[in-house]
Amino acid sequence: MELEEAPRQHYTENEKQLIFNNEFMPHIHSMYNFGYRLTLDRDDAKDLVQDTYLKAYRFIESFQKGTNAKAWLFRILKNSFINDYRKKSKEPNKVDYQEVEAYYNSEEVDRLITPDLRVESLKDMMGDEISNALNSLDVDFRTVIILCDLEDFKYEEMAKILDIPIGTVRSRLHRARNLLKEKLKSYAKTMGYNNNA
Amino acid sequence: MAPSSNPFIQPDGKKPTCMEMLQLIIDNQVTEEQRLYFSQHMGHCLPCYKKYNVDMAIKELLQSKCCGGNCPDDIVAEIKLKINSMTA
Repeated sequence: MELEEAPRQHYTENEKQLIFNNEFMPHIHSMYNFGYRLTLDRDDAKDLVQDTYLKAYRFIESFQKGTNAKAWLFRILKNSFINDYRKKSKEPNKVDYQEVEAYYNSEEVDRLITPDLRVESLKDMMGDEISNALNSLDVDFRTVIILCDLEDFKYEEMAKILDIPIGTVRSRLHRARNLLKEKLKSYAKTMGYNNNA
Repeated sequence: MAPSSNPFIQPDGKKPTCMEMLQLIIDNQVTEEQRLYFSQHMGHCLPCYKKYNVDMAIKELLQSKCCGGNCPDDIVAEIKLKINSMTA
């Protein structure tokens, strides 16, 4: 698997440029969107993307040409976000993620929050409702939705990007989808839909 | 022609629940054979049919509204400038 420690490669300057331009740069729009969805700030997303690409170039010999560049870059960006951005940012009263996950993993909560939504109400959500609902999720739940639904990564790739077991990817996605539905259900209610009908 | 045996059954013989199949479908982690089987299954399982439609509608909304547009051009230029100064 490409994201595991690959033996150190040796590239000429010309090869490095080719890899960078042909394998890394095509993902810059996805990377920017990922950065934006994590930080919820366009300037921070810009810094995060720039930092990721500079790191990718600096450590290019850890990347094996022709393998999964997108997943490799996403992993660097996610690590930069956790190690640099999150430490710098002043997130007041940051919730302990493990506590959140343990809470939402309980079956009782699952039963209570599995919302009943109707397709008709979703079809009328033409504005920012879905974006606001996604942005309002805890960052760890938001991340799995982005990786799966917007970037179409496979479970195994998500597990490597996030450094978590595949089973955790699956359960986190399941909880994230339920939380998203819960948010959308409250939007639908304000739009006059009775979702229990 | 839809497959007759359930392609979601694991090598250890464990038969998946509707929810387990649905999650794999929504997460797009299935083979074409599994996709075909599930669409046939929905024909006689109303809860799966309803849940599938809601989940897919959300997924489509996410894809159409949350892809965020392109990265500003100046980022690309700045990255290339910094890379050039690293290699100079």
